[in-house]
Amino acid sequence: MNSSPPSRRSVLRWGAGAAGALAALPALTACGQTVGAARTTRQASTKPGQKVNLTFWTWVPMQKTVDLWNRTHPDIHVQMQTIPASTQGGYQKMYSALSAGNPPDLAQVEYQELPAFMLVNGLTDLSRYGADKLRDSYVRWQWNQGVFGGRVHTIPQASGPMGLFYRQDLLAKWGIETPATWADFERAARVVKARGDGARISAFNPNSPAWFAAMCWQRGSRWVRTQGDTWVVGMNDAPSREVAEYWERMVRDDLVFVEPDMSSAWYRQVQTGRVVSWIGPQWGDALLRGNAPGTKGKWRVSPLPQWKAGQNASANWGGASTAVLQGSRHPREALRFAHWINSDPKAVDLNIAVGYGWPAATGVFRGSALDKPDPFFGGQRYNDVFTASDRAIDTSWKWSPTTDADFAHLGDAFGAAVAGEGSLSSALADAQKRTVDDLLAKGLKARSQS
Amino acid sequence: MSSTNPAGGGPRRTARPDRAAWGFLLPFVALFLFVFVIPLGYAIYESLLKPIRSGSLGLGPATVGFAGLDNYTLALQQSDFLDGFGRVLLFGIVQVPVMLLLATTLALVLDTLSQRWAGILRAAYFLPYGVPGVIASILWGFLYVPGVSPLVDLLGRAGLAPDFLGYHGVLWSIANIVIWEFTGYNMLVIVAQLKSIPQELYEAARIDGASAWQTAVRIKLPLARPALVLTGVFSIIGTLQLFAEPLVIKPLTSTVTSSYTPNLAAYNEAFSNNNIYLAAAESVILALVASVLSFGFLSLVNRKERGAR
Repeated sequence: MNSSPPSRRSVLRWGAGAAGALAALPALTACGQTVGAARTTRQASTKPGQKVNLTFWTWVPMQKTVDLWNRTHPDIHVQMQTIPASTQGGYQKMYSALSAGNPPDLAQVEYQELPAFMLVNGLTDLSRYGADKLRDSYVRWQWNQGVFGGRVHTIPQASGPMGLFYRQDLLAKWGIETPATWADFERAARVVKARGDGARISAFNPNSPAWFAAMCWQRGSRWVRTQGDTWVVGMNDAPSREVAEYWERMVRDDLVFVEPDMSSAWYRQVQTGRVVSWIGPQWGDALLRGNAPGTKGKWRVSPLPQWKAGQNASANWGGASTAVLQGSRHPREALRFAHWINSDPKAVDLNIAVGYGWPAATGVFRGSALDKPDPFFGGQRYNDVFTASDRAIDTSWKWSPTTDADFAHLGDAFGAAVAGEGSLSSALADAQKRTVDDLLAKGLKARSQS
Repeated sequence: MSSTNPAGGGPRRTARPDRAAWGFLLPFVALFLFVFVIPLGYAIYESLLKPIRSGSLGLGPATVGFAGLDNYTLALQQSDFLDGFGRVLLFGIVQVPVMLLLATTLALVLDTLSQRWAGILRAAYFLPYGVPGVIASILWGFLYVPGVSPLVDLLGRAGLAPDFLGYHGVLWSIANIVIWEFTGYNMLVIVAQLKSIPQELYEAARIDGASAWQTAVRIKLPLARPALVLTGVFSIIGTLQLFAEPLVIKPLTSTVTSSYTPNLAAYNEAFSNNNIYLAAAESVILALVASVLSFGFLSLVNRKERGAR
């Protein structure tokens, strides 16, 4: 009986000693260790006639486009592998592959995630393989999302310029003109609430910080800036607070539903005409068409409401690039493929068919599948709205290297706010502070915008 | 060293049985090393590191350097991480007693029933434990979501408007899932302990004229004490490790945050924020708190036991 406590203690002591030894051993070598990618990109030499194999990870069903490439480019075979979308596992998989040293040659990476990939040295410097020459083929701001320190690190794929999808028939029935400003939008919301028999002008989604970021982007906010070597976080700046107060009022006055868009409950309300409009991205057209076929012909698209009448400011929601991950043995061939899949007119048409978004390549819109009157939108050439929207996006917007965490903090705080714990504005202050903490924890220099 | 013991009067101990004992212990020690000591040591090691950045804006090549206790300081400064501890403690204070009370009551009732009925009921109560936590959470999740749930529908018709996924209710909705999952399991442990009580004690009690209630309170409960302590410790550890249930409920409501429990916070730090060093520090803190609480609980009940004698 008495012998058991000492033996347990000695086992514990022994365990602690072993743990200590274990900790000390690699600590000696730790200082030379690199963070992130275990392997760096190096061009492997190929013999003439040798077939190069590339692996491409994406969550967009682009198999048909890849098949076309494989048919037309017998020397370079691309194998497409479908991965979980973005933060649902896709990026985690890429990070693991990078640190294990067996990444795919190419991968789909959203613009907002690129700085985080830079932080783990996950992207190949494509300027070394002649990417700078391709610059003029792409929309400038999207191109710039992949430029770090003057070097090109990714080829842009698509984006999501925003507009206002609305039910023209319902607004006409209630005598509401298409809102041109946010003040109009709020007035329209009050009319819809009064006359709409339970309908609301739209829904506010507390779980979608990317959407909220777009709203602040339009207002002229900069969530992240850089000053010298320091990341400056301004999620709580005056423009963002104004946006937060606007939606705070919309929520408190019960002018909008509070629920996730693109959820089954939301689609039901879209189908039944209880949700009258959606402040959405260009790629939202496919979602409305696919999920509410019964409302065909009743929808229209107009530019985003403005903060001041006569202004022309737009915003972007979503967008991704095709990156050549660090560790590829065929960066030159990978770059050729990345450029082709995002700019070849045939490839773009196939991509549009699977809903990949608004092309990042310039000069592919005219004559493409997007450039047609659409019966779902009552015959409107609705993509003209998005063409204009795309040109009006402030191109200086930057993402932080901790976007996932920023979004998590903001989503958490918004969730509490709509439940009556705090406000959307205080959520911004809270998220800003935490974002600075996250950046510091990553070993970066960071501060709050004063 | 201890093989010659001049003071000891008993049989002389030699090194030989000790070696045999170690032979039997070897599989356990090996497993303990590989699945416990080494991962723990590695987590402690990682928690002491941090990336050292270079280049403009820190986007250049980075190396790993010694962080000291920086990660721990940072973790302890994060209010949402600490809130998570507060939340699971509140959860534990309510959920563990309720669950153990239920388990004990069920065990006592089963113990008095006839063998056949007890067998069937025991299997029925144990059944939820066979359902994985994730599946249980999905199942209950459907019962919580308004518009989908028949439960919410029924209660709504009865004039009640339960908000199972609301800001204040969701923690208890999760507690309900955990109670549903583990009551049967804990009951089984207590039943096993009750079965090992010698029948003579019951006979003696009957001869002394004790009622069923008195037998339960005076004989069964005190003798089932080891099982209660064991299930108590398991439940405390389980509470701190709360993970699958909130993770599954999270998409259904905006009230479950990404750092709702300490485990969830560490998971998000590692896989969403890709900061394994901070995640390691958070995990080590969690392990420390879990061991302090479970050893604290053990010493508390042991002291009481000694005092009672």
